[in-house]
Amino acid sequence: MRQNNMLAMILAGGRGTRLEALTKKIAKPAVYYGGKYRIIDFPLSNCANSGINNVGVLTQYESVLLNSYAAAGSRWGLDARDSGVFVLPPREKDGAAFDVYRGTADAISQNIDFIDSHSPEYVLILSGDHIYKMDYAKMLSYHRAQNADVTIAVLPVPMKEASRFGIMNTDEEGRIVEFEEKPEHPKSNLASMGIYIFDWKQLRKMLVADMDNSDSNHDFGKDIIPTMLNDGKRLFAYEFNGYWKDVGTIDSLWEANMDLLDKNNELDLNDPTWKIYTEDVATTPHFVGKNAEVVNSYINQGCVVNGKVKNSVLFTSVKVAENADVQDAVLMPNVEVGEGAVIHRAIVAQGVKIDAGAVVGDPDSEHIELISKRVRCE
Amino acid sequence: MCNAFGIVNFEGSNVKIKGLQDYRPAGAISFLGRYRLIDFPISNLSNSGVNHIQVHIKDKPRSLVEHLGTGRHYNINSKRGKLHILPSSSDLGSDFYNHDIASYLYNMRAIEEVNYPYVILVPSHMVYRMDYSDLLDRHIESGADITMVYQSVDNAKEAFIDCDVLNLNKQKGVLSIEKNRGIYKTRNISLETYVMSKELFIDLVKKAANTSSLYWFRDIVNDECSELDIRATNHRGFFACINDFKSYFDANMSLMDFDKAKDLFDEDWPIYTRTNDSCPTQYYPTGRVVNSFVSNGCLIEGTVENCIVGRGCVVKKGAVLKNCVISPSVVIGEDVHIENVVVDKKARITRKKDLVGESGNPMYVKRDDRI
Repeated sequence: MRQNNMLAMILAGGRGTRLEALTKKIAKPAVYYGGKYRIIDFPLSNCANSGINNVGVLTQYESVLLNSYAAAGSRWGLDARDSGVFVLPPREKDGAAFDVYRGTADAISQNIDFIDSHSPEYVLILSGDHIYKMDYAKMLSYHRAQNADVTIAVLPVPMKEASRFGIMNTDEEGRIVEFEEKPEHPKSNLASMGIYIFDWKQLRKMLVADMDNSDSNHDFGKDIIPTMLNDGKRLFAYEFNGYWKDVGTIDSLWEANMDLLDKNNELDLNDPTWKIYTEDVATTPHFVGKNAEVVNSYINQGCVVNGKVKNSVLFTSVKVAENADVQDAVLMPNVEVGEGAVIHRAIVAQGVKIDAGAVVGDPDSEHIELISKRVRCE
Repeated sequence: MCNAFGIVNFEGSNVKIKGLQDYRPAGAISFLGRYRLIDFPISNLSNSGVNHIQVHIKDKPRSLVEHLGTGRHYNINSKRGKLHILPSSSDLGSDFYNHDIASYLYNMRAIEEVNYPYVILVPSHMVYRMDYSDLLDRHIESGADITMVYQSVDNAKEAFIDCDVLNLNKQKGVLSIEKNRGIYKTRNISLETYVMSKELFIDLVKKAANTSSLYWFRDIVNDECSELDIRATNHRGFFACINDFKSYFDANMSLMDFDKAKDLFDEDWPIYTRTNDSCPTQYYPTGRVVNSFVSNGCLIEGTVENCIVGRGCVVKKGAVLKNCVISPSVVIGEDVHIENVVVDKKARITRKKDLVGESGNPMYVKRDDRI
């Protein structure tokens, strides 16, 4: 399929500090979600499903795993002759000091040569941290119809939560008249999703100017968008209605996983018309043993369940031994739960062993416990 | 790396899998919910370092061609390796003439052009795990002309009917190949797996064609038992020969014995298949599953006991499934009770509330059927 002359750039350099040990060695976009996925599978699959064939992935923090993961474009079908996933960590350049990406806009600025080589008409800027399904082709149609200079995807949020977001104030036509970062008294409830479509020529000029501006934070939200508003450019809000989550904390990551247990959950990962693609692992179907009990749970291939699993999400090849009791938990790939072990309200990180008889988490706690090291029985 | 190429043969006329085989070659039949039978020989070859694999197809190629694709999912190198799909000639006149020798002759150029000195010939309807690079090493070391593989079984009276049996001397030399007529309990069932030089293979194919227009490859090997040094090696561990409906059902069910499953599915010996990118399986509060293999993408609201459930199946509230093998994309409606049934792909059982096959003689529900 020929490209719809839009190139996507995914900002995937963030650490996600509040995810604690989960992001100690991997960047946030590589964190596991939903029984078999990594968060970055969502924007990448969205690109593939939207007919975007070329995607740049800007990495920075702990990028080894993420680089190799994202570079295998065949996972998302982005490996045809005219398509690809291009991993772009900071690099040394002739005549310039080697530097990290100083901000979201700087990450794009430092890759102007890469974008030029694809000569796109439009550039789509995405975040690698968010879980949602969205057709960017529709957003591009809207962008064209409005004859916009930039289109920003916005999500209606509850008014009382609006002060946690970057809020777009729009006129009746959807044109953005004001942008307020985390306003104390929000005038609207349209939160920026960090998804932008720019005309590349215009953005390029702005980025070149921004690079040399010593007062700038080199950030889309703080610098580029306000400058464009001041310059009287046509900024439009594209309203998105659907499931969208920024899983910034252990609690919110747990919640987002639990959302999948709801029969009518909005994300609907079972939709054959908009599949989320991910790494293909060679394991058997999961096996549920004779004395097992599985209730209201989400279970991936390769698991072997011999104990009780309730209200939980089990990733690839998790083993739950006899008489173990797993409730309200998220068990990441290759977790082993020993005989009689009890887990409540917890996320257990990849490959962690919970020894027989150990007790983890607390059914009455408000917060979710993260288990990232082997738990021995006391 | 392995100094041989692989040929995956199609099933002989002794293989008659009621229903399932009407729609597809044996190799394309769904197994353990997630796999197709051909995934086992191809994964064995790929894991053994065999980079060039030919798959011969007799008829109904659609599902197999779709499943195999470029072979990338079998970990076959896309430049130095090859998964070569070779359909047989379509104008052989009668089905009698549509045997493996005909396919080898029809595709002789593709066989001659392969640049490996040895060939490993394997069947598409048998499920077992084997390292063919070890087998090839032993074959070369022994100096034999052909090395075959068998498994000694003690239920040959009731199972493996019409399968090849090897008569061996004490040194494990092959004296003859005959059909299992179900007379003896203990027999050496042939795994229809052969290792030999490419040169000998081509000679035998030509010789078979000159001897009889109805000869299969096994027939010419049988003829040559006294002329050639043909030896057999014993395979131990899980082995299933899917030659009829009952063996299909039993082989699926036998893997419910988790030790057997562990023997077949070794962590260091992955069985590859085509992914269909389905999400994990969802269990609802009313779902109850015991002693079963469940593939991804299912929605389970009912009760499932001693079953194999394929990818993307829906089990509605109140439904009860016992001792069933459910192919992918099947829907079992509310309050439907089925027992001892093999349900083929995409069937929907929603109205008839009771569908119970005999234990040991399961029922079959056709592909795309509406009940």
